[in-house]
Amino acid sequence: MTAAASDAGFVAKTLALGRKDLQIEARARDTLPPMLAFAFSVTLLLAFTLPDAEPQPPNVLAGFFWITVLFAGLIGFARTFEVERQDGALDALLLTPIDRSAIFLAKAAANLLYIALVQVLLLPAFTILFSLRIGPGLAALLLVITLVDVGFVAVGTLFASLAAETRSRELMLPILAFPALVPPFIAGVELMSNLITGASFGELTNAGWFVILVVYDIVFVVVGALAFEFAVE
Amino acid sequence: MISLDSVTVAFGRTIALDDVTLDVHEGITGLFGQNGSGKSTLLRVLCGLLRPTNGSVEILGRRASARDEDLKRHIGYVGHDSGLYPMLSVEENLALFARLYGAPEKRCREVLDALGIGGWARTPSRELSAGIRRRAAVARALVHDPAVLLLDEPYANLDDDAAALLSAAIVSWRRSDRVCIVATHGAKKVKAYADAGIILQRGRVQSAGIYRRAENVPAP
Repeated sequence: MTAAASDAGFVAKTLALGRKDLQIEARARDTLPPMLAFAFSVTLLLAFTLPDAEPQPPNVLAGFFWITVLFAGLIGFARTFEVERQDGALDALLLTPIDRSAIFLAKAAANLLYIALVQVLLLPAFTILFSLRIGPGLAALLLVITLVDVGFVAVGTLFASLAAETRSRELMLPILAFPALVPPFIAGVELMSNLITGASFGELTNAGWFVILVVYDIVFVVVGALAFEFAVE
Repeated sequence: MISLDSVTVAFGRTIALDDVTLDVHEGITGLFGQNGSGKSTLLRVLCGLLRPTNGSVEILGRRASARDEDLKRHIGYVGHDSGLYPMLSVEENLALFARLYGAPEKRCREVLDALGIGGWARTPSRELSAGIRRRAAVARALVHDPAVLLLDEPYANLDDDAAALLSAAIVSWRRSDRVCIVATHGAKKVKAYADAGIILQRGRVQSAGIYRRAENVPAP
């Protein structure tokens, strides 16, 4: 088999696995709805904690946003391998002739979609409840959100695979993942806070936290794809 | 076609397989023994889900390894669980596994019909009775037309008619370049068509023998 054919097979199988996860979620609806319910409940509660003064402190708004995303994401990621545990599907999957990084990438892609959907609905809610104004920095904010999300799902999916093998997996995932998730979330808070105060795209990409975020994503996507094989064993 | 050389599997202090050395030839081999005798552990070692603590396994002339993707293409395994996604229909499950194994999608219909469950193709796996789900699990293991078929208690929850259909499907799958191991604690059904038998007791091979000559098995 040629390398090109092998790559095409890898991509096709990864897409098939990702489509399977989305198909199951569309029918079971047991990952996205709890994430959304949590995100909006917390946002509503937080809206009552701030004084009515405008504008709200940018770092506080950015902190609220990313804390909400962090916990909503972990609620969803904890269920990542639940679908594989039912009726021994993971064993059947591990016996197929696919590179295990394909399973990781498919799971991470599905998680990325879930967390992006939460954020698509969360941003307007923040605009209404906290008078969040981004203006011309919206494209830069979307870039920051994407970068934080990529690192978040890489770490979240990898640790979810480890936690899935433990009895108290919902508890284990945050314990395992929190320390590793500190850098991208601090970067997210700092960069989003700068954008709220009017930082330009050039200022954003020159910031140290931006570089850290990019490096973090590269490292953890690669580590996640490579380490996943050992995690599921 | 399958060789085990001094295979030992230990779970902590419990020895599930104790220095097992045996050869399994083409045709159908029944693997018998009481609960806890090591049948399931042996099959999990053969399919690559479990790494032996000691010893080595050769399948189709190659040293078994969980990372050997080419070898995996030739192995079909059904464990105690069905290995099916409950929220997907039977045909969606089979189509997914056919794609992952690189098998043609028309194989799905063939194996469903061979096992007499074509009528349940569009039923979500979670809505199947235990017996139909068992047959759907065997269909999943057969979808890529493997050369090595490992079945762990395939007759569990099957009534007599379903068991006869499953036996017929296994017998019609048999060819001289294929090997099947059927693990069961009730030997009667498997002995009716098996070419050889192995009895395990407390993780050791108590006896192994040939019932009929494998030359009678149809050529590929």
